[in-house]
Amino acid sequence: MYFLNKRIVNELFNIRTMMPLLEIRNLSFSWPGTSVKVFDHLDLTVHAGAFILVRGGSGTGKSTLLRLICRLNQPDNGLIIFKERNIIDIPPAVLRSMVSYVAQIPQMVDATVEENLLLPFSFATNRSKTAPGKQELVRMLAEFYLEEVGLDQSALKLSTGQKQRLAIMRAILQQPDMMLLDEPTSALDPESAAMVFSIMERLNTTRNMTILSVTHSDYSPKTLEAITCRLENKTLRINT
Amino acid sequence: MSGIIDISAGQLMLAFVFIIIAQASSFIYHLGLNRDITVGAVRTFAQLFLMGYVLTFILGSESLILTVAVFTVMVVSAIFIVKGRVKEKQVSYILPTFLTMLITYFATALFVSGLVVGTTPWWEPRYFIPTGGMVIGNSMSAIAIALERLFRDMRQQRDLVEMKLALGANYHEASDEVFRNAVTAGMIPSINAMMGVGLVFIPGMMSGQILSGTDPLIAIRYQIVVMFMLVGSTAITSIIVMLIVRKRCFGSGEEVLLTPR
Repeated sequence: MYFLNKRIVNELFNIRTMMPLLEIRNLSFSWPGTSVKVFDHLDLTVHAGAFILVRGGSGTGKSTLLRLICRLNQPDNGLIIFKERNIIDIPPAVLRSMVSYVAQIPQMVDATVEENLLLPFSFATNRSKTAPGKQELVRMLAEFYLEEVGLDQSALKLSTGQKQRLAIMRAILQQPDMMLLDEPTSALDPESAAMVFSIMERLNTTRNMTILSVTHSDYSPKTLEAITCRLENKTLRINT
Repeated sequence: MSGIIDISAGQLMLAFVFIIIAQASSFIYHLGLNRDITVGAVRTFAQLFLMGYVLTFILGSESLILTVAVFTVMVVSAIFIVKGRVKEKQVSYILPTFLTMLITYFATALFVSGLVVGTTPWWEPRYFIPTGGMVIGNSMSAIAIALERLFRDMRQQRDLVEMKLALGANYHEASDEVFRNAVTAGMIPSINAMMGVGLVFIPGMMSGQILSGTDPLIAIRYQIVVMFMLVGSTAITSIIVMLIVRKRCFGSGEEVLLTPR
């Protein structure tokens, strides 16, 4: 195990292109009103097409790391660069349509499956994007192991596992450059979890989707470019 | 019959029978309201007597500065009452709420007193102060209800709001439902009042005018103006306050600042 400094990360993650998709430099974070650092001087470089799995115990800040990247929390110090731009210079809604975050507990609005899937297209940032038609949605539902789910049924009545797969599918529909998955299988039974892992691998290999996922589980991605890291002692270490 | 029958001090004391009934009810059924009823009764007595003397003085003085000063004191008192009801520490809402209340209530009282009733001068205290009082009293409750609802829903629906943010929504798209529910909750009492007025209850102002000998047909015109004024001022004030305070619930990265309690 090594400290994940920039040199090592660049060597290990230098997969498809020299220019990183995401670069985190010297990141520090503590919860408002406290002086205890969750991270201190954390560095990470992610190239397009990478599949990075971050492990760590409870309270080590795995979820916070993802939330900082999409600005759902603000760091104390440090720099997060996405596509060569400091993320604070990118309008938050635009950033989040490029870096899609899927929360640990999937959230659905009180509407049909179709309305939930098309929700991102109702927001100003995504209006210029082409919303998929019904046929495309039905085809994708099958791809996400949701053949039994109808577009007209209530999304709130789905199981947690179905909601999680639907949430990942919804995030994909807005065609992000990168996906941040926050413990996507923590609330799922082993069968549902396996489906989600399979979807993550497929998105990475067939769509070249860059994935940064945090997890508690022992799952190891089967894709060639998968890198496993561990968050401890307020920084990231890479597993060898 | 014209004129109003005066209530002597002894007759006024008789009204305390109702307070005694309320105290006894609280005592017998262990409602724990005896202290609140006592404080409420004493404050009603003291505040209204004080207001009576102040109004007598102001109506006699016919001073613009005094009229505006009394109006401002009423708004300051209202914001303290709102602050007492809305116990929110993470988002600062007092100053924008106070300024919105001051400006919109003043504009409403000015419109009604100066244009609808057509008093000369526009600040004629006999009209301006009671009109302002009614606007402040009603709208203050609406704002307190709306703010409480806004903060509560923003916390309870934080995951849902963040889900929308994560899908590319800006902060007003993400919190649209929370905003609408808060404004609606604040406005419902004054809309319900319009539905029930004249059927379920006779409003205080109209009752007062009729008791003092005013022709009921004149009293109803005043009451219609007041009801419309209350709905309008409540809507404008609630919407402006909610727009400003909702923005303050989000940080510079449009992240939700309110954390679960």
